[in-house]
Amino acid sequence: MLNQGIMMSHVMFGILGILFTVALFMDVLNASEKNFKRIKILSLAVAVLMVLAFLIGGYWYVVYYGADRDIIKAGTWPWAHNYFMEVKEHLFFAMLLLSIYLPIAVYRNIPLTNKKNKNLILVICALIILIGLFMDGAGGIISRGVTIGLGR
Amino acid sequence: MKKTNIKKKINIKNKTNSDKYFVGFGLSLVVTILLNAIILLFKEISTNVMSAMKSALGHHWTTHGVILIVVFVVLGFILSNVKLKTEWNSQRMLKYIIWAVIISTVIIAGFFLPNLKVASAIKY
Repeated sequence: MLNQGIMMSHVMFGILGILFTVALFMDVLNASEKNFKRIKILSLAVAVLMVLAFLIGGYWYVVYYGADRDIIKAGTWPWAHNYFMEVKEHLFFAMLLLSIYLPIAVYRNIPLTNKKNKNLILVICALIILIGLFMDGAGGIISRGVTIGLGR
Repeated sequence: MKKTNIKKKINIKNKTNSDKYFVGFGLSLVVTILLNAIILLFKEISTNVMSAMKSALGHHWTTHGVILIVVFVVLGFILSNVKLKTEWNSQRMLKYIIWAVIISTVIIAGFFLPNLKVASAIKY
């Protein structure tokens, strides 16, 4: 039960991080002095959510994943671990670092009304969203790999 | 008086501010994203590196993550306080970040590609 609770909170923080990044992307597209405070808050929220997803997911991976990995590898979808989990666990670091850099870029790369400054934040957001969506998809494949490995 | 205020406002809006932390941590981000892929290659190819990383913090992934975060923070502060010869504006930083992410993603996704047997998926 604790195992599943930890996993679900990892997924929840990750998805919230992606949703907040989408909101930030939209706000930066329409950046002005009026929404700058919200942009700052959103950028910080993305960093905090992704760090939480990393810490919780990392704990789950190190403590609980071993048993699931053995089930996946014994099943008919071994590539769910051999490819998707391997790529996911390493590509996650790129998304984490981009998320940590995001508030630094927002707070220090002003004004956001400048097109070049705005583009930088937009691209960082887009990269976080794209990698985040891959994380979600890969997570789904990995969990399906466990189900198939169990013969269900 | 009014005219100068307007001029000042326009200047503030168009000014590209290359803040030292923006540049320092931006460059650190580029280096760390690439380092992520390099560490992956080393630990997967060399069993000695893999076992050293496992014994350092109990799990190779934990050691990998801690190395990256420590390097990102330390290098970020170091580069923030170093006077760089090149002018680092948003546009230049953007290019470096995009290329770092592309190169790192291609290395990571490409390295594990032989593990992806599409045939078994189709068979299922």
